[in-house]
Amino acid sequence: MSKKAVALVALLVTLGLLAAFPLLVAAKSIVNLGCLVLLYIALASSWNILGGYTGQTNLGHAAFFGLGTLATRLLWLSGRPLWLSLLGGGSLAVVFALLIGIPAFRLRGAYFAIGTLALAQILYVTVGNVFPMLSALPSQVLANYQLLPRYYLFLGVAALTVTASYLLANSRLGLGMMAVREEEDAAESLGVSALKHKLVALSASAFLAGLAGGAFAYYHVGYYPQLPFSPVWTFDAVMMAYVGGTGTIVGPIVGGAFYVIVKEYLALKLVELHLIVFGILFILVVLFLPGGFVEAWAHLRKALARRAAQRQASLDSGERRAGPYQPGP
Amino acid sequence: MLEIEGVDAFYGDLQALWGISLHVDEGELVALIGPNGAGKTTTLHVISGLLPPSSGNVRFRGRDLTRERPDKIVAMGISQVPEGGRVFTGMTVLENLELGAFIPGARRHKEESLKRVFSIFPRLAERKNQRAGTLSGGERQMLAIARALMSKPTLLLLDEPSFGLAPLLVEQIFAMITEINAQGVTVLLVEQNVRAALELSHRAYVVENGRIVGEGSGTGLLSFESVRRAYLG
Amino acid sequence: MLVPLAQNVVSGILVGALYGLAAVGLSLTFGVTKFLNVAHGELLMFGGYASFWAFTLLGVDPFLTLPTTLVFLGLMGVLLYKLLFSRMVKATEDVKVKNTMLIGFGLSLILQNVALRLWTANDRAITTSYSGMALTVFGVRLPVVRLANLVIALVCLVALHLFLQRTCTGKAIRATVEDWAAATLAGIDIDKVYLESFVLGAMLAGVAGALVGVGYSIVPTMGLEWTLIALIVMVLGGLGNIMGTFVGGIILGVTQSVTSYFAGGAYREVVGLLIFLLVLVFRPQGLFGTKQG
Repeated sequence: MSKKAVALVALLVTLGLLAAFPLLVAAKSIVNLGCLVLLYIALASSWNILGGYTGQTNLGHAAFFGLGTLATRLLWLSGRPLWLSLLGGGSLAVVFALLIGIPAFRLRGAYFAIGTLALAQILYVTVGNVFPMLSALPSQVLANYQLLPRYYLFLGVAALTVTASYLLANSRLGLGMMAVREEEDAAESLGVSALKHKLVALSASAFLAGLAGGAFAYYHVGYYPQLPFSPVWTFDAVMMAYVGGTGTIVGPIVGGAFYVIVKEYLALKLVELHLIVFGILFILVVLFLPGGFVEAWAHLRKALARRAAQRQASLDSGERRAGPYQPGP
Repeated sequence: MLEIEGVDAFYGDLQALWGISLHVDEGELVALIGPNGAGKTTTLHVISGLLPPSSGNVRFRGRDLTRERPDKIVAMGISQVPEGGRVFTGMTVLENLELGAFIPGARRHKEESLKRVFSIFPRLAERKNQRAGTLSGGERQMLAIARALMSKPTLLLLDEPSFGLAPLLVEQIFAMITEINAQGVTVLLVEQNVRAALELSHRAYVVENGRIVGEGSGTGLLSFESVRRAYLG
Repeated sequence: MLVPLAQNVVSGILVGALYGLAAVGLSLTFGVTKFLNVAHGELLMFGGYASFWAFTLLGVDPFLTLPTTLVFLGLMGVLLYKLLFSRMVKATEDVKVKNTMLIGFGLSLILQNVALRLWTANDRAITTSYSGMALTVFGVRLPVVRLANLVIALVCLVALHLFLQRTCTGKAIRATVEDWAAATLAGIDIDKVYLESFVLGAMLAGVAGALVGVGYSIVPTMGLEWTLIALIVMVLGGLGNIMGTFVGGIILGVTQSVTSYFAGGAYREVVGLLIFLLVLVFRPQGLFGTKQG
């Protein structure tokens, strides 16, 4: 079977398992955990499109997530159908992205990062002032609240984000994005419009993060509208992508799952320790293993393969030596 | 005193030097001549530790200094005047000179070195509290050489000291270099000005395309096409 | 209406001096090494806590413990540099700036959460016997402690200026900023200069933090806010310009105060960030800096 076919089968099987998962598990808390994992995967993967594949470290990702929650919550609670509300969330995020994209991309590297951070902070503070009241679900909605559809929504958004990443990464656009990441000036001289590719990546990243925000708005019973705009969401997404492996499909997935598991495990013991652990892991990745877990796994497989080959080689030569006795000099 | 053997050097993936081997004996004034981009400056960078060679070695008075840090190499007695001099324009002449005596061995003798340097370059003494950025091109070159001398080197490397200077100044600079050599400092000089280089130096190496293609002195080097072309204009 | 406005302006100047001090540390480190340590705010926070605990446990006046805070942050700086940032010395500038930013980012999370675990999320303030004292000039209230902060900030900056102008180490730092290759050829140990700049930056952050602790309050989560402030003022003032950065801090402080007077306190942070973005995009060399390559 070709590599693509294998990947497709793996994806379908995984999706199937994930879809069946909440039906097999009784505890609501575990299904909630699943929702969280899927949300983080969506956030990390959507960040990865701009941050990993295109190499533009966006520290304002929470703004897209937040705008998604804002629009979706407003639309949905005012009676619009869910699909429309979600679309509204994604769209608001994209509109914002395109508005700030052109001036923002005048900045490069760390300056772009700091600039996007400042921008997201502005939104965070402003939303906190304009919408200071808790956003709670009205009683009839609350009465009809069911966890399962929320889970499947998160699953859908995560699957969509990962699939979009995959398609983008393997397209001509994706090649252009990676060229911009590696050597922006050289890419420009070859006719690859850096700005265009950055804007495409930014839009995709924003839209998908906005959808994730929409799912969040559909899921959460009560929260302060300012919360999803908090830089913590950005930092979490960035760390997950780095620790898992930026610029890969699997990286953000592994990073996201690992993050939630570590967080849950450590939360049982000491509350904020998971952040310290992840902070350390993150630094280690930046210093020593830029490809994250994905790279570490690749190294491991190579080392194991080398070991196996050596063993095979020594076996072969051994057999020759142990051959029939040849008399004579 | 200085021995370079089989040095290969790369800028990234681009090979700049191929098997460079040369030697400079104590007290000599040796020149590296050759066309632009031949690898003369690169050779000096390797000696000074700015560019570690990928193979070969550099030995100075018996010690291996291949891949040593540049500031350690200064402490061992080798000082380079880089191309263009590169004085610290935001600092005064005196501050530049003081920084030249940064290494502990030289710092102790700072006053003495300043006197010596001012005697070779009286113009600098006049301007000692002026910002280096206000000096003329020739004065900056003198300052750069003076700064290098402040570290009390036994081997002085000079990268195109006459570059961009008016002919009268060029004469002056070369006279000063000869005097410095006469005072006991061994000199390795990279020069585009072939005539001057051949007149000044005891010996010269011809460098072309990253390789040493010849060695000799004075007119003996005229057999090389590139040298002859440069010499005859 | 004039007196409350004047009060705001004065408050802005007083806090702006600390903004400037915080920014100068980051500007020095970044200007020399191109390490963008975004955990600068956390270093400031640790300076505040060092001072707070010296006061709370030992009863020593926070202004008297400034030297010990300096030493403590200096040691922290050495440790963090050697452990984390020193590995970035050989990288190209783009990579250096980006990777050290990421390292700083991870570091800020670690430091913030270590502080949270150790000292809880409660606000702390160093309240001395004279904390409530204030001068009143033309109806404007000048808290004595904050005035002292202003004086100390100025003293630190003058001391820094003299250090860079007169001492051997300071000159080596200036030479390295101007031309590191020429500096190394003069026998200057660039690694040592990097370490010294980083440690100086950390020490300045520590002093700023201690002053914030006595004049205002400290909390483990203050790091991000102060890092952003330092970045804003650093960009406003232009790299390598101590006075310009200090004035930039005052400008930010006053702008924030006046904005909160007219538009309400909620938007003080926003106006600073907006100015920052405008300057970053349209005048990256800052208001006072010179256009450099």
